[in-house]
Amino acid sequence: MTERTSLRDELRLLRHGRDWRGRSTVPRSADPWILDGKPRDLSNQWARSRPAVAARAMLRGGLLRPVTWSQTQPVVEGSDYLENLRGPVVFVANHSSHLDAPLIVGSLPKRFADRLAVGAAADYFFDARWRAVTSALFFNTFPVERHGAGRQRSQAVELLEQKWSLLLFPEGTRSEDGTMGVFKAGVAQLCVANQVPVVPVALRGAYMAMPRGRNWPVPGRPRVAVRYGRPLYPAEGEGFRELRDRMMRAVARLAAEEDQGWYGAMRAEIDGTLEVPSRRGDVPKASRWRRTWESTRPLADRSRRRVWTW
Amino acid sequence: MSRPGFVLTVDERTPPLLVHQGEGFRLERLPLGSRVIYPPDSLKGVRNVDAEIQHALLNPLGIEPLPELLYPNMRLTIVFDDLSLPLPQMQTPDIRQRVIEHVLELAAAKGVDDVELIVANALHRRMTPAEIKRVVGERVFRSFFPEHLRNHDAEDRANLVEIGKTKHGEVVELNRRAMESDLIVYVNITTTPMSGGPKSVSVGLASYRSLRHHHNVHTLRHSRSFNDPPNSAMHHSYERMADLIGGHVKVFTIETSLNNDTFPTATSFLNKREWEWNVADQASYLAVKRGNELMPARARRKVWQKNVAPYAVTGVNAGLPSEVHPVTLDNVHRQQVTEVQGQADVAIFGLPYICPYNVNSIMNPILVMSLGLGYFFNLYKNRPIVRKGGAAIFYHPVEHEFHPVHHPSYIDFFDEVLTQSTDPVVLETKYEEQFATDPWYIQLYRKSYAYHGVHPFYMWYWGAHALEHLGEVIFVGGNRRTTARMGFKAASTLADALEIASHTVGRSPSITYQHAPPLVVADVR
Repeated sequence: MTERTSLRDELRLLRHGRDWRGRSTVPRSADPWILDGKPRDLSNQWARSRPAVAARAMLRGGLLRPVTWSQTQPVVEGSDYLENLRGPVVFVANHSSHLDAPLIVGSLPKRFADRLAVGAAADYFFDARWRAVTSALFFNTFPVERHGAGRQRSQAVELLEQKWSLLLFPEGTRSEDGTMGVFKAGVAQLCVANQVPVVPVALRGAYMAMPRGRNWPVPGRPRVAVRYGRPLYPAEGEGFRELRDRMMRAVARLAAEEDQGWYGAMRAEIDGTLEVPSRRGDVPKASRWRRTWESTRPLADRSRRRVWTW
Repeated sequence: MSRPGFVLTVDERTPPLLVHQGEGFRLERLPLGSRVIYPPDSLKGVRNVDAEIQHALLNPLGIEPLPELLYPNMRLTIVFDDLSLPLPQMQTPDIRQRVIEHVLELAAAKGVDDVELIVANALHRRMTPAEIKRVVGERVFRSFFPEHLRNHDAEDRANLVEIGKTKHGEVVELNRRAMESDLIVYVNITTTPMSGGPKSVSVGLASYRSLRHHHNVHTLRHSRSFNDPPNSAMHHSYERMADLIGGHVKVFTIETSLNNDTFPTATSFLNKREWEWNVADQASYLAVKRGNELMPARARRKVWQKNVAPYAVTGVNAGLPSEVHPVTLDNVHRQQVTEVQGQADVAIFGLPYICPYNVNSIMNPILVMSLGLGYFFNLYKNRPIVRKGGAAIFYHPVEHEFHPVHHPSYIDFFDEVLTQSTDPVVLETKYEEQFATDPWYIQLYRKSYAYHGVHPFYMWYWGAHALEHLGEVIFVGGNRRTTARMGFKAASTLADALEIASHTVGRSPSITYQHAPPLVVADVR
């Protein structure tokens, strides 16, 4: 009754989920039990060398930004907050799309963009060498362990000491439904321990433009908003949890500015009506489809709004 | 330190998983969210096995050191487990050989002349001279075979003795030579929690009159599981018998435990977790699988049966059975137990090519049933991995094949008894006695190499608890005729099996796959 499968089918089954070198991704539940083999060098030191910085600047100006800007309509606001700021700083943003990093890197002033390292999931971006090299070339990525396997010591502190600014996504992964998730405490701990200012960044429309599962933006040059906020400085004696909460509120407020305006979002925060993700689950969440629905609503095109209207 | 066992939740990152299927194996993509129970990684073996044995014999638990128990004019009987352990057979030298040689060294030094070695085969088939030689080694074999190294004969009335009855009225009838010895040294290999301890002497050297008290439907239905001795009615019966034996003869037991290195280097991928397979593992998988499928059936069986395991010894402990066994069980648990939260609607088991009763033989349908619903289903502590009324899906071809020399009564059992009923209670009450006392089967058991006439009944009872517990039993890739004869269903694929099971467990059941071998005991909380 057992039928012999063809060699082709057998190979297909064997290759399923493995890269060209035959390595499989690790199931999430197996991650804590991975054998401690010889640790791979994931430091990407070469990406911080002068030639690499120069090459990255060229790729950014000649490829990354033109392509991103041709496929989407980015609106960048709040970059004036960065004018008097000196690095290193930590940019923290909500994360819903692979477009997030190109939009931020492409919209940052050159002095920050040239000296920026982007935290990337070790289990995804550093899983295959080609992916690690490509992402390091374009974004100067460094590995961030998401699942607590503790295989690599974080490079973030070392990079800050070397005056590199960091771009980190404290949610730890791209949002499933486009809404902002709770920030993990690691970024706040890093900023408190090293007394580094945090620049909140909110991205709107990126989920609609290129959600999970897509590898190219949707057609029609959707509008996306990149909004920088006022830098947050860890206060004297402030704990990382407090700073984490401030960061979440700041990013949520910036995101809300798209709909409610600057003043409206600020009022919403003071009135307690601003939607800030909560770990406690005391804020009733809309159903998943409604959240996805809201996240995929096209941003209003304000470019043609008249100031004087009667 | 080796990694503990764990429960994998199948997600989109999980590669296809290996499933054993008789004399073969395959990769299977399990539904997302399925859970897979993996055993702990193989423990490191003890570095110097001979030193460990020496230490155990000189520092036993609860009894004097072995040299102090030996004296010139004594009757010494060395009893050892038969070829049903370990599975597959271990590479030589077998651990039993090493232990027996150490015991004999001490006996020789003390001038013991009257030494007998007996295989504790109970109602199993006799071991052939070649099989005995492989287990005990050349030196022991040459010195004792055939006069003083032999199989236990449970039908040799002259060499059996009834030593009494337990307080539950259980007759204890055992090998006369062993019971009339000054000392029994029992050499054991414990590869599952059910083996060893009180079971060794009370089962290995018993007759049908004695075995029927625990090898019956009622006891097995109340052994939940027989791999969890405190909750096993079968073990309670063993213990009562062992107490009686302990009052009658001095027993010095030497228990050994092995790690989980079940497969040799060429097929080491069978010992590894699938996402850790490197290119060489994948190439071996493909080569071995294709080669295995292209081989003629007889050659394939020969190759599988020749497979020997590079087991390492994880512990050697000696002394009184009641003192030694808990220590051995700790070692076995350390190697095999994985904690699992909750039961599932569907359990999946991949049944391998071997069970305790087809070493150098053929796995017939009854043995498949016993391996699946008996041994694998009972690889749990506390609760089965599948809920009551749930479905069990086994992978095995369940071919209609029997070994005419080893399993003659199985053929009649399959053709004449299972056609009447598959209910263990009916089989026990209506047919067991007839098979157990059939002179031809007894003759074949004593003089040929056949399992006892009653043995297929015991195999069926072995699955009695599972038969009562499960709502559906399905064999993926199983022969329709043989599975139907046993009252089970056959499916071509896992999807079909789940479709069949949906009548019992619904369309989106929870699934747990017990990834064995290497063996894993699920501690279900």
